[in-house]
Amino acid sequence: MARIIGGIGTSHVPTIGMAFDKGKREDPDWKPLFQGYERVARWLEEKRPDVLVFCFNDHATTFFFDHYPTFALGVSEQYSIADEGLGPRRIPPLKGHAALSRHIARALIEDEFDLSVFQDLPLDHGLHSPLTLMWPSKPDWPGRVVPLVVNVIQQPLPRPSRCFALGRALGKAIESYPEDLKVAMVGTGGLSHQMIGERAGFNDERWDREFLDLIERDPERLARMSVEDFMRRGGNEGAEVIMWLIMRGALAPAARKIHQNYYLPMTTAMAVALFE
Amino acid sequence: MNRFLHGLTMPERRKLFLEDPEKAMSALSEDEKAMVRRLDWKAMQDYGASFFCLEKLARTRGVSNPEMVAAFRGETLEEFLKTRRVPGAR
Repeated sequence: MARIIGGIGTSHVPTIGMAFDKGKREDPDWKPLFQGYERVARWLEEKRPDVLVFCFNDHATTFFFDHYPTFALGVSEQYSIADEGLGPRRIPPLKGHAALSRHIARALIEDEFDLSVFQDLPLDHGLHSPLTLMWPSKPDWPGRVVPLVVNVIQQPLPRPSRCFALGRALGKAIESYPEDLKVAMVGTGGLSHQMIGERAGFNDERWDREFLDLIERDPERLARMSVEDFMRRGGNEGAEVIMWLIMRGALAPAARKIHQNYYLPMTTAMAVALFE
Repeated sequence: MNRFLHGLTMPERRKLFLEDPEKAMSALSEDEKAMVRRLDWKAMQDYGASFFCLEKLARTRGVSNPEMVAAFRGETLEEFLKTRRVPGAR
């Protein structure tokens, strides 16, 4: 049977991917970020998960406002890298796990989570900006991904409680897959930031630290908050951390955080946390 | 406006926009064209352009996100960077 071996929460700021592509690992302005991912990269290398189930959002790249799905699951064997205005990043296409994806789609719909299903669509930085700091992309990715795309950019957004419940259902769906697979969950987004309006540039490190604490020990409390609470405390765009609740919901309630890094250089607080 | 901005994810639309912006913007109203010509981020945002669609225009024109955020705050990039912990991380 498939087994969930742990989870990762991570920011997905596009500049993380750009810093990687420009080789800024040793740049003093970026080193604290890269160093924070080393423990996670080592964990992935040691544990060798076959699949990363990635809960992230598209940024009006692949999906557009003519149809923005709330939850959309990729079921392809391969996903190309999306062009976000600079041409696609020079990393290999992502390898999917179609059989696991299709099993998850069936199991979730059976469990009354009526999500959309997509294939043959490119994926944007929401997935691969953090991925390049955790998984080697050369000569090719060491494993496969199952992308779960969540709408956190166009109102109405799903409720945090729904994300947490979806995570629980996703955990059950994965662990009912008959093949022996090691799966790690990834939840992306945040932490505090606001890109638009009069409060553009907003951050709150105190809230970020509280979030990083609660996501480990009392995720139910986070799940009881409204999306508006998340926006007030973590900024308009910072509310995307509700995607960490999907990852956390799929892990055992007793899962423990074994690593965390926090770096707030510019507009977005960049965090990564590892759970086992 | 958002549809035009989103179209800049396609290389051929980007090429046309950079080579012949007026032709590339033919579906936009005069007011919309004026905002795009000026790269008036705040005006486009207030008009209803999605930040994520504006990012496509910014990438096409080589503008960074901190520059856009500074514009939304009514600041120059230099003023905005003074409020940041690591101004070089961009």
